[in-house]
Amino acid sequence: MRPIGFSSGALAFADFRRAIAMLHGKDIHCLELSALRENELDPLLDSLDELDLAQFAYIAIHAPSGFSPQREECIADRLASTAFSRKWPVILHPDAVHDANLWRKLGRFLCIENMDKRKPVGRTAEELECVFDLFPEATLCFDIGHARQVDATMTEAYLILTSYHDRLQQVHMSEVNTRSKHDPLSVASVLAFRDVADLIPPEIPVILETPVHEELVLEEIGRAADALPTRELAAAS
Amino acid sequence: MPDRLFPEPQSPVQVLEARMHSNWEHIRRARERAHNKRDALKSALAGFDSEDTSVVVFGSLARDEFTDGSDIDWTLLIDGSADPKHLELVHAVDEVVARQAAKSPGREGTFGKMVFSHDLIHQIGGEDDTNRNTTQRILLLLESAVVGRKDAHDRVINGVLQRYLSEDEAFIHRATRYHVPRFLLNDFGRYWRTMAVDFAYKRRTRFGQGAALRNIKLRMSRKLIFVSGIITCFSRELQLPDITGSRLSDLPPSDAVCIDCLRRFLRQTPLEILAGTLLHLENVNVEDLATNLFGSYDEFLGILSDATLRKHLDELDARKQYEDETFLRARELTHRFRDALLQLFFERNNKLSTLTKIYGVF
Repeated sequence: MRPIGFSSGALAFADFRRAIAMLHGKDIHCLELSALRENELDPLLDSLDELDLAQFAYIAIHAPSGFSPQREECIADRLASTAFSRKWPVILHPDAVHDANLWRKLGRFLCIENMDKRKPVGRTAEELECVFDLFPEATLCFDIGHARQVDATMTEAYLILTSYHDRLQQVHMSEVNTRSKHDPLSVASVLAFRDVADLIPPEIPVILETPVHEELVLEEIGRAADALPTRELAAAS
Repeated sequence: MPDRLFPEPQSPVQVLEARMHSNWEHIRRARERAHNKRDALKSALAGFDSEDTSVVVFGSLARDEFTDGSDIDWTLLIDGSADPKHLELVHAVDEVVARQAAKSPGREGTFGKMVFSHDLIHQIGGEDDTNRNTTQRILLLLESAVVGRKDAHDRVINGVLQRYLSEDEAFIHRATRYHVPRFLLNDFGRYWRTMAVDFAYKRRTRFGQGAALRNIKLRMSRKLIFVSGIITCFSRELQLPDITGSRLSDLPPSDAVCIDCLRRFLRQTPLEILAGTLLHLENVNVEDLATNLFGSYDEFLGILSDATLRKHLDELDARKQYEDETFLRARELTHRFRDALLQLFFERNNKLSTLTKIYGVF
């Protein structure tokens, strides 16, 4: 099965300790530590040494989705320091960037996420081209829910995956509703995601951004595996 | 920072015009007028749209054939949550467009209102695919342009194309000798015949009023839309490039690739599609065909651009049209256009001729 895990923000918003506790002891080895709001970043980074992250083979950290130009350098510096020392990718929304120079230094640890339909940049393969021109070493966090919201036929998802397959670092998965909020996976989203499952290599980590209660965590992981069957599993079923 | 990082590619119509050393003045002016009018509408309607709503224009304004006497056919295309405020938005758009238009949208009530994506995507064929729904769907593919945000427009076009392509088993699995989307082509054909039948319906219900002008338009601009639809469906087999220069035949077989390539092909206007065909098709006498196709079309737009001639045709008593000098002159243009199309589709290129017979006739 693919490596599938959760975003701490989806499970417990800013309470990353609680999110880690919810996953503790389960057969889940991928984690994204989320600091989507700027004020969540410092407490998270300051606590990293105290957290028990031993069960996770893959960890990424999600940068704040919005910040002022005045705070940008400090945020980029702190995240760069963490990325370099721990070898963790930093997930960044391209529309949050004010000064690309501050982020370019993250090199291959910078992981750009494709955006939902509300955002002015980074929604399509064409728009991502401009973003990767700014960050030539950056990798891609392919948000399959965003791609489906932008184009329900999954044509745009296909174009993003085929255009940037060499950059693919991880996948974000959720149902993205009409208000661009993350929801648990629906049957419709599972069916849509299967259309591009073959384009996502089996070793690529999948991070669920679906807000579910602790007792539904494994069920949601199963649904995600169903949405992105690997070629071997699809052949067996 | 410049508005455009790269210069806009030259229209195939301009390339053909230059190659022919022709002067298709009326086509050129109509294109300029269309671009200016769309820019004006875009400015006037800034903020009226969103990621879920696009203001879409159709007809001559979308085809780059806009004249001073043209109306502005538009819809508010909605691909998102239903919102009671949408009606107010439609009225607000209507007021803005009315200030920019020479006259109101057509009487059939197809335009000047809100249209939802679900019917366009799901109701293809069957009793619920009304005349209005078919018209909106086919024109969305063949002659629509966005003024402002294109998100909803792009999504709906993708959705409609996916319906036509992914349900066309023979097309997807390349099970036939020629790779032609028959489901899509059949609907283009159905729409062309619907326009022709509706011409007779309108002539009867409007007691002949405006029939002469509609007759000429049916034989020229309406026929051109159909022609562009046929060529779009044959584009893979004819190895015609889309607006970016890519050819469907060069790309790997995939549902998504076909949708993407066709949507890029359809970003061209019908005249651009026809010009691109003449430029890229082998064994075609380009000079002769271009002179007759584009020469006649240029003169047709010249008549529509002349307020006196247009008004004369619009008010001409249908019972006297075959005695009328202006109508007969315009009719002669339609014959030149038709004869050149017959040559192009049946006589000049074996592949195109074969495809036309198999998919267009039997």
